[in-house]
Amino acid sequence: MQYSTSYLDSSDRAAVLRVENLTGPMQGAVIHDVSLAVPSGATHLVMGPIHSGKSMLLRHIVGLEQPLSGRIYLEGARVDDAIDSDTQLRRLRARLGVVFEGSALISRISAIENVELPLLEHSDCSAAEARETARELLAEVGMSEVADWSADDLVRSARRRVAIARALALRPAVLLLDEPTQGLDGHAAHEIDDLLGELQQKHGFGVLVFSHEVRHAFGMASDIYVMADGVIVARGDRTALGESDNELVRQLLHRRGTTA
Amino acid sequence: MTIPAPPPTAQPSTGRTYPARFISRGRLAARSFYWLGWLAFSRRSVVNSGVEREIYVLGIGALRLVAASSLLVGLIAIFQVAAQLAPYGAEPISPRVVTWFAARELGPVVVALLVVARSSAAIAGELASMNATGEIDALRAMGLDPVKYLVAPKLLAVIVVLPALTIIADALILGGVWIGSTVFLGYSTDRFASGIREAFLTRDLGVGIGKSIVFAFIIAIIAADEGLSAERRSSAIGEAATRAVVFSLIVVLGADTFVNAIFYFIPGLI
Repeated sequence: MQYSTSYLDSSDRAAVLRVENLTGPMQGAVIHDVSLAVPSGATHLVMGPIHSGKSMLLRHIVGLEQPLSGRIYLEGARVDDAIDSDTQLRRLRARLGVVFEGSALISRISAIENVELPLLEHSDCSAAEARETARELLAEVGMSEVADWSADDLVRSARRRVAIARALALRPAVLLLDEPTQGLDGHAAHEIDDLLGELQQKHGFGVLVFSHEVRHAFGMASDIYVMADGVIVARGDRTALGESDNELVRQLLHRRGTTA
Repeated sequence: MTIPAPPPTAQPSTGRTYPARFISRGRLAARSFYWLGWLAFSRRSVVNSGVEREIYVLGIGALRLVAASSLLVGLIAIFQVAAQLAPYGAEPISPRVVTWFAARELGPVVVALLVVARSSAAIAGELASMNATGEIDALRAMGLDPVKYLVAPKLLAVIVVLPALTIIADALILGGVWIGSTVFLGYSTDRFASGIREAFLTRDLGVGIGKSIVFAFIIAIIAADEGLSAERRSSAIGEAATRAVVFSLIVVLGADTFVNAIFYFIPGLI
């Protein structure tokens, strides 16, 4: 296994999400020369200890941080170039579904209203159409029964499911999940994994998971990037990483079933 | 390579300068007004239902506190005023004095202070908590403006709630005055009623409600600004709540002083 900072090959050129040599943020670099690619329909994992730079990488991809150097492509369009243009950024963000750690639902409104939000904000559909689509999405994630509950009243796993439904509202090209099963018990976490697998198979979006939970490496991810100190130190499938002689990778994988 | 140690705990903020706070609140106010306009005309229901729930939480939830406090303030006021006027033989006009003072001053200020104590910390704490857990960034990442979805509904709710609570408080302060003057000071209800009729002018009520709308803007904007600008650490949530209460109290009382000075120094206004 190579320990270069660049892990892209020619097949990654067609990826729906591509990060090339990203260093940032502008006000003080935390991540350095990070490259990765997520093809349509594939699930990739960015794994690393807490404070390894995973969340900062996510913030760059969704346009919350201005990079110092490097490029981020979403369906061929530059996300890093769009940061200064509200209109362009909104258009690109509509193609990204994001499920943040903690779900980030608006607490004072209901589950179904949370799912409607992106539709009302980013599409021209009527309120009735948005409501209908939101209802269908909640049914897909098994949350029809709590559609009218306040987001505040939902348990953690239900909040996560509603957040997934909201992230899928605009039929994104890529779904980004930050610590998707953090704080869930084993059963609920596996249910979320299964749900994501089903949804991905149905809709065909790319998935990029950011997590310090090692068990993801043994589940859905076909390609794993290991991140530490703001750089990607290894990339490969779980077999390749299992044979790695990198001490961090060995330490991380050794803790299978626990957190890194 | 070993697993890197976590970075040191964030240092406590040295705080923003007063001009920086002023500018930040001005910007937030401008953005909130913009979205208030949108709220008024939009037929899209999501934010509007958020407003309804904020009104319930901020208004209905505060009713018991406002009712009990207003009644007690009425009682305290009538005892104090009667005691002060007694040496001059003017004790009989005390219900009238308190009534006039209730509509213009006691009602709006008491309600504003109670809402600051109860809701300002809650608003700042909620937004600071969302900031600390990355939920505000999450909304931005989805192209959803946190001011539109979080601040504007709270601002609108406080603007609706504060005048309504002020009217209720005015009535209950008068209730306290009535209880004090009839049960404890021995005045008849007729005398109380005639004092009220002479003293309670619609104009005074209007001034009180006008003040409460100004106070509502102050409370909501300061609390939201402190919450949104909180640092991303758990102790910052409590700090933001405390700062919101302190600044809101000072600015509400400062604004009240300013309004009173205008009424006092400009002839004919009072």
